[in-house]
Amino acid sequence: MRAPLIHRSPMPGLGLSMGVTLTMLSIVVLLPIGALLLKGATYGLPGIWDTVNRERVWSALFLSFRLSLFAALFNLVFGVLLAWVLVRYRFPGRRILDAAVDLPFALPTAVAGISLTALYAPNGFFGQMAAEIGWKIAYTQWGIFIALVFVGLPFVTRTVQPVIEEIEREVEEASATLGATRLHTLRHVILPMLAPAALTGFALALARAVGEYGSVIFIAGNIPLVTEIAPLLIIIQLEEFNYDAAAAIGIAMLLISFAMLLVINLIQVWSRRRIGYV
Amino acid sequence: MSDTPNIRFRSATEETPTARWVLIGLAFAGLGILVFAPLIAVFVEALADGVTASLKSLASPDARDAIRLTLTIAAIAVPLNAAFGIAAAWFITKFDFTGKAFLITLIDLPFSVSPVVAGLCIVLMFGANSALGGWLVAQGYPIVFALPGIILATMFVTFPFVARELIPVMIEQGRAEEEAALTLGASGWRTFWTVTLPNIRWALLYGVLLCNARAMGEFGAVAVVSGKIRGQTATMPTTIEMLYQEYLSVAAFSLAAVLALLALLTLLLKTALEIRHADQLAATHRH
Repeated sequence: MRAPLIHRSPMPGLGLSMGVTLTMLSIVVLLPIGALLLKGATYGLPGIWDTVNRERVWSALFLSFRLSLFAALFNLVFGVLLAWVLVRYRFPGRRILDAAVDLPFALPTAVAGISLTALYAPNGFFGQMAAEIGWKIAYTQWGIFIALVFVGLPFVTRTVQPVIEEIEREVEEASATLGATRLHTLRHVILPMLAPAALTGFALALARAVGEYGSVIFIAGNIPLVTEIAPLLIIIQLEEFNYDAAAAIGIAMLLISFAMLLVINLIQVWSRRRIGYV
Repeated sequence: MSDTPNIRFRSATEETPTARWVLIGLAFAGLGILVFAPLIAVFVEALADGVTASLKSLASPDARDAIRLTLTIAAIAVPLNAAFGIAAAWFITKFDFTGKAFLITLIDLPFSVSPVVAGLCIVLMFGANSALGGWLVAQGYPIVFALPGIILATMFVTFPFVARELIPVMIEQGRAEEEAALTLGASGWRTFWTVTLPNIRWALLYGVLLCNARAMGEFGAVAVVSGKIRGQTATMPTTIEMLYQEYLSVAAFSLAAVLALLALLTLLLKTALEIRHADQLAATHRH
């Protein structure tokens, strides 16, 4: 006998909660995404390819994904370090640091964008210091990198923190009594336990960075082929009422993001299986 | 025995003191440059011409209209998303059905879609060029470049916030208390108001807090659907962009400072919730 789609339950409110959930999900999320895919379908694959296969679009897509990857890698390393410090050490100011990690979630991206630009512009606080050694940050790819690091900062720390809290000291003690140095224990015992959670955070930071718009456009300078990100190209097409081209770039971004998330998921499954830690 | 040297042995599960202080130093330096510096810069730039200039720019009609619009959007979008979050969490945790994991993935979908693409989707669905949008415009209800479009875009990007907070908490609490209330003869709504809601109120508040912060600060999706018409569809973040591009730095940063204060208040309340009501939040927020 086939299992029923919905099991009988004495709980009330099935119709209401299901109705509200599916209706709102459809109107707000599914139908609009469907409209994008439909637009792509009517435009056709050749049309999408013609739009995307231009130097300006390729370089924007490549720039967005490359810098997002670098920023997410930086956040992976710094995020694990931060999570370790926040969970394991007790020092004055720890609570403030812990709360500050979430600021990039709470601070609107446009605010972050103009304030990072003010700091890193050639006459800004950090910009002046960098200028003295001949390093230009704002209005170059470095500026985009810094903005993307900012928006992705909390993800890895917040996914890794609970895992570090769960680690039992006995594991580390066992490793130490067997003669491992502290560094060896960290490298071969602790890090593998953190890997799946860290990868989840990495994937979230990456996805966020790829689509980021508000904090980047102010500091980027937006020079075609050099510092023009993919989401900005969509906006430019929309301002010219070129909906087909905007949809094509949007679909290309969606496809590349999903492909990357799929790869990261596979790595995650593989690392869980290898380490035997679920 | 007094000649025994007073040595403190380091536990085998601790790093050397030097390593600890280097790591703590790196954490402070990193967050100092990446998080505290931009936060301080907002207020320094806002007060560059003194407090009065800053307050004056906030009292200008453009700024006042933007603040009013942003508050209106949050007042509509956040309760709607809270209602959705409660309904979705109830449906997902109180019933067993096929495709539950898939439904949760769909609810999380907005997190992996760029806000700009989200705005684009809404323009394609409800814009004047689409079948539905054209019909709605003909009836006198334009969606895009008007308030409903901005609300839809805001709801899209904040869609998963409340549901994600409630689902883990409600799974953990199980169904036994509701079942007991129902056995004792309480109606469905009475069970919800007197049993479920008190159990999830702090998690709900937590989700609403994050949802509200994002709703008031959303820029990318709103920039696409709003058309940025001054006094009509320009929200606080889009007004900040327009002022900044006109080199009205103090005005832009003053408005930004208001949003930064809101962000700080959000963080403060969030931390307070994590400390005082940790046992009633999703496990990942417990410290």
